[in-house]
Amino acid sequence: MSLRSFLLSSPLFFGVFLFQEAFVTQLRLPFGGFNLLLIVALIWAALSTPEIGALTGFGAGIGMDLSQTSPVPIGHWTLVMIIACYAVAFFSYGDDNVRGNPINIIFLTTAGVLLSQVAYLLIGIMLGQEIGSIQHILFILAGTTFWSAIISPLCLKVISYLHANVFGTRNLL
Amino acid sequence: MRYGGDNRGRLLIIVLVVTSLLFITLDLRGVQVIDGLRTGTQTALSPVQKFGSWAVSPFRNFLSDVTHLGRTRNQLEKLKSENDKLRLELQNREVADAQLKQLKGVLDLAGTAGFKVVNAKVISQGSNTSFTQTITIDAGTTSGIKSNMTVLSGYGLVGVVKSAYSTSALVQLASDPGFRIGVRIAGTQQIGILSGQGTRKGVVQLLDNTTLIRKGDVILARGSDNSRPFVPGVPIGEVTSVDNSPGAVTQTADVKFYSNFSTLGIVAVVVSAAASDPRDALVPPKPRPTPLPTVTIYATPPTPSPSPTATK
Repeated sequence: MSLRSFLLSSPLFFGVFLFQEAFVTQLRLPFGGFNLLLIVALIWAALSTPEIGALTGFGAGIGMDLSQTSPVPIGHWTLVMIIACYAVAFFSYGDDNVRGNPINIIFLTTAGVLLSQVAYLLIGIMLGQEIGSIQHILFILAGTTFWSAIISPLCLKVISYLHANVFGTRNLL
Repeated sequence: MRYGGDNRGRLLIIVLVVTSLLFITLDLRGVQVIDGLRTGTQTALSPVQKFGSWAVSPFRNFLSDVTHLGRTRNQLEKLKSENDKLRLELQNREVADAQLKQLKGVLDLAGTAGFKVVNAKVISQGSNTSFTQTITIDAGTTSGIKSNMTVLSGYGLVGVVKSAYSTSALVQLASDPGFRIGVRIAGTQQIGILSGQGTRKGVVQLLDNTTLIRKGDVILARGSDNSRPFVPGVPIGEVTSVDNSPGAVTQTADVKFYSNFSTLGIVAVVVSAAASDPRDALVPPKPRPTPLPTVTIYATPPTPSPSPTATK
């Protein structure tokens, strides 16, 4: 059941991946912009069980690794996303105070974006990636956190709706 | 109640993590299948990105116009005055033609760079979430572009082709934190290494601690073996400040890149370098200050005239 639901969600993530690559990367937004696939995957994970969260992270991570603008080896984002999505799902699963409140989900997603980028940096350092100055890193982290806090509420409703349909929990909405 | 997890769940996480670690290992070891996967994705995505670039451009232009409203007005004024100046210059063309003939002879003697280039349009800007600075251009291996080729704009160095696909290529910008290039200072020929910092400013570190670097020095590419990845003589930027710390082993300086990476639209990829090193021939000319016309006014105070006195 879970695997079937996960497979059903793959067209959504493929669509988001295409949208990210074709449109979002064209927008020269101030403060560095955002990664829609990362945000959608974290919201999806926040609404799912930890296992589905980890699988979602795996799928989204592969997509982010295949992105043309990804300079890192394939598997880097995958590893980060598995951990991030599992963690987000773990914190929200079974706690209606978290899952029932959109603000908590937005907070979890935004914190997830920030922490996943920090994890990405740490793994990047271990793999010998150049990361630039501290000032630049802080600027990018602040910028993506800012954009995630703006974008998450905008797409939360749509993702919740799709998630409920895929997992057959629409009656709980 | 918090989720405690079960054996099946833990096994799934372990399998996924191990798979991702396997991907990283295979990619770092240069396994063809993994490389092919990314190349295939990019080949498939390239038309979608081109469509996206076409679809988003009106919105992007609108945003750019709004952000640069004041600047656009100033630019209009500047262009108007330049237009008037050009009209006047056109009238003096006959005189200039004769001068140009002489100048051409001098320039031929000095030699020019003579790079063979392929022009390309920027179709995508890299995501900053990866802490890198990249762009994607709409020309690839079918146009003769290969990885490790120098990319230029009208002002100077833009970066280097990181990966080339059939109809597109990924360019690592000079501002990328991972970017390194051997440089020399125009004139003095001192050599050093310039590294990107994620902004429009780079840092150059001289290799010799006995040499000096000054504010305003022009930084040029030193060139690589067989001119790949870097062709020699390409202007990169200008020194804006020098770090003169007494304890430093070598001198370092901040360099402002000539190219503005956030407004790149058309770039050129050098597919074939010049037969000889152009040396300092490509150093941009320094702007000359326009002399302001002055007028000297002499003013002399009026001499007091004797006032008539009343007599009875």
